[in-house]
Amino acid sequence: MTTSTAIRRAVGIGGVAAAAIVASGVFARAPFTEEELAQQMDALYESVQLGYDMWHGTKPSMATNGLACGNCHPDTAASNPQTFPKYMTMYGKVVQWPEMVNWCIENPQLGERIDPASDDMTALAAYAMYLHRGIPIQPGLASQQTSGVVVEHGTGFKREPTGLGVDSRDHTPTPN
Amino acid sequence: MSEVNKSRRDFLAFSGRAGMATLVAQAVGINLGIVDVVRAESGGKLDPFRFAIISDAHLYSMDNHKFDQQLIDAVNKVNAMSPKPDFVLFGGDVAQNGTEDQLVKGKEILSKLEMPMHIIPGEHDWYLDMGDAWRGLFGDETWSFNHKGVHFIGLNSILVRDFWTEAGLSPKERMTVMEMLESPIPGPWGVHEQQLEWLANDVKDLGPGTPIVIFTHSPLWDYYPRWNFQTSDAPEIREILSKFDNVMSYHGHVHQTLYNRIGNMSSVAAMSTSWPWPYPPVELAFPETRMNRADPSIATDGQGVQIIDLNNEFQGLVQYKPFEDSLTPFMQDGFTV
Repeated sequence: MTTSTAIRRAVGIGGVAAAAIVASGVFARAPFTEEELAQQMDALYESVQLGYDMWHGTKPSMATNGLACGNCHPDTAASNPQTFPKYMTMYGKVVQWPEMVNWCIENPQLGERIDPASDDMTALAAYAMYLHRGIPIQPGLASQQTSGVVVEHGTGFKREPTGLGVDSRDHTPTPN
Repeated sequence: MSEVNKSRRDFLAFSGRAGMATLVAQAVGINLGIVDVVRAESGGKLDPFRFAIISDAHLYSMDNHKFDQQLIDAVNKVNAMSPKPDFVLFGGDVAQNGTEDQLVKGKEILSKLEMPMHIIPGEHDWYLDMGDAWRGLFGDETWSFNHKGVHFIGLNSILVRDFWTEAGLSPKERMTVMEMLESPIPGPWGVHEQQLEWLANDVKDLGPGTPIVIFTHSPLWDYYPRWNFQTSDAPEIREILSKFDNVMSYHGHVHQTLYNRIGNMSSVAAMSTSWPWPYPPVELAFPETRMNRADPSIATDGQGVQIIDLNNEFQGLVQYKPFEDSLTPFMQDGFTV
């Protein structure tokens, strides 16, 4: 069996064109340059930063009782984005993480839900997912007590230093 | 056997005995959740008594906010206890944003307690006006008193270095910075020099057998400094109190069940009446004192009050009394080894 036949069989009907592209061995474009990658990461950090701010109460429509995500989820602890999609008893079905966020907004926070496709929801996900980076994706129930994520110092992501106060990196815990 | 293992074994042994007490209590229809028995080797006998702890109400300014009712529920729970506690300690954070209306509302609700109350401040009470309204309503934040042979001490553990003057922050901006648990700005807080001197002076004439209970907002050990689950000068406090046979430390701030023991000091956390906090990413010396994961669909899960019974040998039976069934079997029924 030739390579192209194998590819055709693997992709099934309509796979001829795809096989032709793969078999050609030509990339659509050259890999991103360091500069382009830096720009893309900056765009991500911008979203993460918006998410961080919203997480701590900068979007008034998210609550009518003053509560923010950060009240119960410092450093996004126990928001568990890596466990979604999962079954939620409140809905009686499997849902995505943004739906969990909207549940919290509408119930404990008595606010207005956010469009899951909006930049705002993307920002909340960007913040929570960024802090959970490196943690294995594990769809399903987290029935046990979940620990917070380790955040060494600062906000946990690249951001201009405030120049205020004492960063937690300056504090050496005293041995107990 | 290491010191840690030894204290752990003692802890488990006493918890086992506590378990029997629980069964008796349950037989008469009182549902007790047992976390821990704290032991002291006190030379002198004391009159047995009980006190309760309510903590971290985080009241907002809105009328009929759900946290108002949760604090009312806590007050009712304590008033309904039988026998009644001699007094109540409030563990700080009456208010969420430190405004006078929130503190006044808290005082009003807490005034329904049918026993005296002693209170220390939390950071949410303090940083809008640097404690002016709080002091006006509740008095000194540093205090001690004797009750039936036990020396109780309260300290203000939420003092931070001045980060606001040079930066030109408004009082509201300063408060907002302090409201965030994981705020990178204020850094670790503590009781600072003046209170350390006060403490040294307060206990200087007390004999080593004196039963000591010390009460602060934050724990007197390095649990998780990033969330200020610590008091920066706790080592100095423990040093000042090291001459005593046994010291019990009770604290708020962490919004969860928790026990630890360092040297002569046992440390017990209070549940909040507002919301539970997740356990931080550190190992606990006594992981069996962790409560169940709170169910977000039950608004009062993972919250409650606590009661401590001191016997005549300064042994304390600590019982969490959650609003919902938040306790693991270890905490509900005790533990035998």
